[in-house]
Amino acid sequence: MRDQMEGERAIAHLLRRTVVAPDAALWAASRGASYDDVVEGLLTQLDAKRPPDPAGFDPYLPGAIQQLWLERMVAGSTPFADRVAFFWHDHFATSDAKIQDPLLMWRQQRLLRDGGGGSWRELLRGVARDVAMIRWLDGNSNRRGHANENFGRELQELFVLGIGRYSEDDVREVARAFTGWGSRHHEFVMRPEFHDDGDKTVHGRTGPFDGDDVIDILLEQPAAAEHLARRLLRWFVTLDPRPEDVSSLADVVRGEDFHLRPVLGYLLRSEAFRDPSCEWALVRSPVDQVVATWRVLGLRALPGWVHASLDRMGQILFRPPSVKGWTQGTGWLSSGALVERLALADRASELALLDGLDAIERLAYGPETPASLVPALAEQGGRDRARLLLGSPEFQRA
Amino acid sequence: MSPRSTPRHDCAAHGAATRRGPTRRDILGGALALGGVCLLPRWARADDTSAPPRRRTIVLLHLEGGNDGLNTVVPYADAAYSRLRPSLAIERDRVRRLDETTGLHPSLTGLEALWQRKRLAIVEGVGYPDPSLSHFRATEIWHTGQPERAPTHGWIGRALDAHPRQAPLRSVGLATEPPLSLAMSGPGSITMTSFERFRVPSSMQGAASLWRQHADATGLRGDLARAGTEALDVAARLASMSPAGGPYVGPLGDKLRLVESLLVADLDLDAIHLGQGGYDTHSNQTAQHARLLQQLGTNLDVFQRRLEAAKLADRVVVFVFSEFGRRASENLSGGTDHGTAGPVFVIGTGLRPGRHGAPASLAELDRENLVYTTDLRSVQASLLSHAYQIDPAPVVGDFAPLELFA
Repeated sequence: MRDQMEGERAIAHLLRRTVVAPDAALWAASRGASYDDVVEGLLTQLDAKRPPDPAGFDPYLPGAIQQLWLERMVAGSTPFADRVAFFWHDHFATSDAKIQDPLLMWRQQRLLRDGGGGSWRELLRGVARDVAMIRWLDGNSNRRGHANENFGRELQELFVLGIGRYSEDDVREVARAFTGWGSRHHEFVMRPEFHDDGDKTVHGRTGPFDGDDVIDILLEQPAAAEHLARRLLRWFVTLDPRPEDVSSLADVVRGEDFHLRPVLGYLLRSEAFRDPSCEWALVRSPVDQVVATWRVLGLRALPGWVHASLDRMGQILFRPPSVKGWTQGTGWLSSGALVERLALADRASELALLDGLDAIERLAYGPETPASLVPALAEQGGRDRARLLLGSPEFQRA
Repeated sequence: MSPRSTPRHDCAAHGAATRRGPTRRDILGGALALGGVCLLPRWARADDTSAPPRRRTIVLLHLEGGNDGLNTVVPYADAAYSRLRPSLAIERDRVRRLDETTGLHPSLTGLEALWQRKRLAIVEGVGYPDPSLSHFRATEIWHTGQPERAPTHGWIGRALDAHPRQAPLRSVGLATEPPLSLAMSGPGSITMTSFERFRVPSSMQGAASLWRQHADATGLRGDLARAGTEALDVAARLASMSPAGGPYVGPLGDKLRLVESLLVADLDLDAIHLGQGGYDTHSNQTAQHARLLQQLGTNLDVFQRRLEAAKLADRVVVFVFSEFGRRASENLSGGTDHGTAGPVFVIGTGLRPGRHGAPASLAELDRENLVYTTDLRSVQASLLSHAYQIDPAPVVGDFAPLELFA
């Protein structure tokens, strides 16, 4: 049996890794509960229906889709489900820099939010038909006799199998299976005249496959479950997962036939997740940093300058740098980004309600404030105390 | 014994270093036997008594997405070129001719000006064995010079690690994400996108001081402390700088303006990495590619002229590359798919201007893709040897440097 975090310490860790930080109500409800009950409460969010978009919501207003998603992660009723969608956004990283149509980006977000806890197979089928993804990876130019390999390659390299787990022939053949899968205006269309219905050989199997057949074949590869397991472990647990943790999570992925809710449930309850060596071992992404700051301060409204700050820290939702998604770890801490994190803590502290300042420390750090912070905190009160708590290196971690 | 041929003795004999080309040791051996100083970089000359020259800062410019090399350095006289590209080929009379076989894309007025002023060396057919057609893997390979292994540190980063020196800052990546080319185990590599926002608010000095503690700790706490200390030191210095002027254009121009400012500020940098995005031209390539190359050439010409006016040109060399060239034949969407070998540009003073290496054959393709003629590590070796006056072999392996520099 590995060392395990227990009690409030384990629950604080669980909440940091799932909803970035507890707000006051969630911490009050969770600290006395059993670890298992808190996990179950989080998983229930995955079944919950997505709240409707607010009346009059216009995705074409600049920043509107970023704002609404952030607000849901900060103060929505299903922050875990919205953050799982963020995980999938990083995984299927699609950028509006190319799509130039926020409505399509928002539809993809809904797909990831609604399907993020369901079947991986169904999610992949949905993504392969998602218009933003089709435009992102050039589905409309993928035609019989002139396959465009962009989606066929990334489907294997980044989305399902991992680099080196396929051949260049597999890339060409998978691309052929998706020929004719395109979009017209804002809708998915199958264009039979562009579809190559000849035999393809994909990972050793031959037949007149289409895209759905190929997804099934890819999921049969041993690498598929391992790739998903590693991605989940790296996002929710540690950048350097143990091989045995990857393979046991991969076994669960296969055993559950790629159903994500039980996989996430296993992950959050696993010994790997509660291993003390993983505590405070991740660097918060800029989006997580904003969400954590807002939740511990009890703030709900996100002023416009937050988006500019996120840009300077290096992360804008719907604008990942490439199809590979965002960086992780100390990659977030370039000089400019680090100075911006201090500026963010400063400006956010100004927004905090004075009578909420005492709660920040417990919400930010759980039952035990890191020893490295204690001497500095002893000398400060009020907003300057908040500045130290939020601008410290400790608060950039999760 | 291997049937190795007699070492060649003439200075011009080893332009291209292919997989089977001469190794660095062949060349050094031949040169030493003849006392052929012309072949030797300064680090290898035992009798050089002149004061050590200042290093050159290597400015790496990555054309991101895979630049279409065939429409950049155009083999206009090769009939196969227009056959492979019925709609995308640059017409013969629009090519900016460099000689009777080869020319530049019509939008590359700036590069043509650099060519005429003898500030441009072009190496053609650059690649490596078993090319990857993935943007990410191919980028990793170009940034590390290590096609056969998973990436750790960059080719520049490893060179800087091998030659440590006291400097607050050794390299700058103009990006939010640190470029792999500069990644090193030692300190001194940062990223930035502007000079603004490097000033720490006075109310945050207390929190800032926390970042400097525990720099000797292991694990993430130590990593954060080291990253924080470095960032705060550098921020203090950068906060007081201001961007250069100059007729730069577009986003690439903004970046080169920053590069110029960093060079003028005399930070004694070893390398600066920047990128120009947009080269992944799977569809409707013609207009997009022309626009990108126009900006590329114009800005590089402005940059070089301004460095020369500021008397900084002898401390800088520019290296322009892309993670791959594109497919030899065009696709049905008016674009080109991912390919393999392509040309690189080296710009600066003190080089041997002209064409180097050898163009990839259009007649002998490997599954529609070009076969490289010059290993990218030979180019990297040339740059390290010239700019840093170091032996490049421990960094990039035993690849013969090209004769790119005078």
